[in-house]
Amino acid sequence: MPAAAIEIRDLRVDYGNFVAVSDVTLSVPAGEVFGLVGPNGAGKTSTFRVLAMLMDPTYGEVRLGGIDIFENPEAARRIMGYMPDLAPVPSDLKVWEFLDLFADAHGLGSAAARRERVDTCLEEVALSDRRNVFCKTLSRGQTQRLVLAKTLLHAPKVLILDEPASGMDPLSRRNLRLALRRLAEAGSTVFISSHILSELAEMCSSICVMNRGHLLAAGTVDEVRRLLGRAERTLTVALLERADAAADWLWNQSGVTELKRAGERLSLSFSGTHEEQAALLAGLVAQQLRITVFEEQKSTFEEILIDVAENSTPA
Amino acid sequence: MIAPASSSAVEAVHPLPAWKIWANPIWRRYVRARLRTRHLTIWLILTLVPASFLFFIIRTMAVYRADMPLADAERAPLVPLLVLQSVILFVLGTGQVAGGMTGEADEGVLDYQRLTPMTPLAKVLGYLFGLPVREYVMFLATLPYTIWALWSGQVPLTTWLPLYVVFLSSAVLYHLTGLVAGTVVKNRRWAFLLSIGIVFLLYTVIPQVSRFGLVFFKYFTLSPVFQESFANLMPETAGRALRAARAMTQGGVPLATEVRFFGLHFSEWVFTLFTQGALILTFIVMLWRRWRRAESHLLGKIWAVGLFAWTQILLLGNALPLIEPGLLFPSREIGRRLRVSVGADWKPQIEEAVGMIGLYGLVTLCLIAVLTMIITATEDEQLRGVRRMRKLGWAHLPRFSDAAGSFWFVAVMAVIGALGWTLFARGLVESSWFAGIKFPAYGGWTFALVLLGSGLGFQAMLEARGGKWPFLFGIFVGIVPAMVGAVLAAAQNPFLKASVWLAGVSPFAAPFFAAQTLIPVTIPLDVGKTIPQAFWFWQTVNGFVVAGLILQLWRVRKQRAQSVIEQGEAKEQGGRKKEEIKDVTQKC
Repeated sequence: MPAAAIEIRDLRVDYGNFVAVSDVTLSVPAGEVFGLVGPNGAGKTSTFRVLAMLMDPTYGEVRLGGIDIFENPEAARRIMGYMPDLAPVPSDLKVWEFLDLFADAHGLGSAAARRERVDTCLEEVALSDRRNVFCKTLSRGQTQRLVLAKTLLHAPKVLILDEPASGMDPLSRRNLRLALRRLAEAGSTVFISSHILSELAEMCSSICVMNRGHLLAAGTVDEVRRLLGRAERTLTVALLERADAAADWLWNQSGVTELKRAGERLSLSFSGTHEEQAALLAGLVAQQLRITVFEEQKSTFEEILIDVAENSTPA
Repeated sequence: MIAPASSSAVEAVHPLPAWKIWANPIWRRYVRARLRTRHLTIWLILTLVPASFLFFIIRTMAVYRADMPLADAERAPLVPLLVLQSVILFVLGTGQVAGGMTGEADEGVLDYQRLTPMTPLAKVLGYLFGLPVREYVMFLATLPYTIWALWSGQVPLTTWLPLYVVFLSSAVLYHLTGLVAGTVVKNRRWAFLLSIGIVFLLYTVIPQVSRFGLVFFKYFTLSPVFQESFANLMPETAGRALRAARAMTQGGVPLATEVRFFGLHFSEWVFTLFTQGALILTFIVMLWRRWRRAESHLLGKIWAVGLFAWTQILLLGNALPLIEPGLLFPSREIGRRLRVSVGADWKPQIEEAVGMIGLYGLVTLCLIAVLTMIITATEDEQLRGVRRMRKLGWAHLPRFSDAAGSFWFVAVMAVIGALGWTLFARGLVESSWFAGIKFPAYGGWTFALVLLGSGLGFQAMLEARGGKWPFLFGIFVGIVPAMVGAVLAAAQNPFLKASVWLAGVSPFAAPFFAAQTLIPVTIPLDVGKTIPQAFWFWQTVNGFVVAGLILQLWRVRKQRAQSVIEQGEAKEQGGRKKEEIKDVTQKC
């Protein structure tokens, strides 16, 4: 089990009487690309701003790379990179000057060393050709990439990216995805939020889901899908003939709670385990029914999360 | 490929020492952004054109029209150049600092600086010297003319060195004012206007206040050192005339070249540096706190009380030694200004002393109000504090934390203020100028009543109801009745009593009423009797109102504690809820 790169314990953030983050406890293993999913107002940005030491929580403990961020904020800042959701850039600096400022602030050595690092990061985000232009002339997507480059400058062990792909074109998104994977392979831990859920599912090895300040589930994408999805799965069975007989037989099996027929196609709600599901298929075959399709209809991730956002209650 | 930094690499990076300004990334950032050739050229032209014009026109006129000796003529442009330099650094520089700081926050890039591992002090100094870097260059561009004038005008080092040292410390002080304004005020334009307004006040209103007994305030400006140096910066002939004129209008008393502080004597420039240094340190502490924690109060509770006590010491230390020589009284200064001879027969009037005592009390009250606003927790901060306290199982909030109540700290400030006010009043009234008049023994208690009543009432209202109510209260109870009373008084004599009763409701008038109540002053038309009656009546009413406000504050604290507990956090604690609410309320 790898050591946790991000440890959050009992984190709570309040705005007056509004609870933005409610006693969240979470651990992100090192080297993972970990996604934080949730609708607007779920508490994602508040959580990230606390991790980035930009705001104080009501209470809670946070460790980045084993460093308590409240005890030793400067040491934590050295290993952490944060990219806010609406990434602004100063209007009076050129692209390379903007990056050099932060390379300098992170103590990345001589002017030559900083220049090399700046160029590497610009290359990483495909902005080398915009090196000498003013930041204010960049497009939204380019600005996002520039701020990502700034975040990568000091090669942080822990990257916290709040909606990093917003405003990026599909190509840039793909590049971002690849860059994050490379970072994770090199040992960085990436904690990333997005409400473009399919995108997160593609990028992340694990995710957690927040809603109304509460952490609802955490784990691999499949685990979270299972945790958040209904216990019942929808199975579709298509036959060449004798759908009536199949329906009668299925209705008498345990775990089948609902059954619909459309021609030779059956749709049933099934609450059994995967072993029982396999036994169900074997039973149909044993009935000498000629089956053409037997499949589990998975809810899309978006559907699950919309359902969560609308119906979830705190655990 | 960007590999993450190794632990050893992370440990190897040491934070930049704050004093290495030239290596400060934030300073360098502004050197790049604000000293780009094109912009700098334009600004240098805009600086050098007036500077050159001033230098050459004044020098030429001095040589060819006024027929001054060359050394004298060379000195002539010094003061106009100093004025130009003041405009550049004090006005443009301060505005740039305030506007630039707010701009950074406005654009959202300030957060990026919070993310860097630079120390808070390095960040403060980076902005302090970085934001006005162009103005420093513009100032430097005018220096050749000044250096030439000082050199060839043979101005002694002991004149220009203190002047320019204090000039630079004043610039730093005003830039820090701009930095604090830019940190607090969210709107760029308002921050700019506020900081310029503060500098304007320092050179217009504050010097007037300092003439009414609050001498200390004038050391926030360049004025004392400038006035001391002025005669030596002028051409020799004009300087001699100026010195003679001053000696005459001061009734033979020479221009003060030293500051008396209790029994100590300082030169003007050393004391100015000392005074400004204390304020510079306070501003740096404010900014340091904000960089360390974005939501922190500008001052901690202890620092605020300490600053208040220190201000009282400075006010008294400057004022008390000037009473016996008669230098504290405004009538003397006004007489001098009006070119009225202030001779040996000059004597201050007791009415003047009563007004000065009232003003001292008003300034003290205003200072308490400002510091109370800084150290009083908002509802949000208090709720978070109580939640943290409960979660961490603390018996009570740390007394000096931002979330803790400020009630007792305001009470301490009021008591210190009353003590300072009493010492000032006693020193003034019982001086040899007013033989036979005694400051009453209960005077200190009366002053304490005024400051405690108004201070605690303000604190209770601020904490319980937020900033809007004290603001409205200040306008409609503090300012409007005093104004209406003044208008009534100006209208007809029969309205005088009514105007006194009306103005008496104002907490801002209370210090003047208190002074008048304690010290007998001959005021015609029975107003002299009405003032004490109105004062005690309104103080009694104020006492009930303040008691009500304090009760309300306690109730609000209880409700807040209750709301925390009722948010489902105390489910497991069940029957202990009531005791806990009581407990938490007591500990806020």
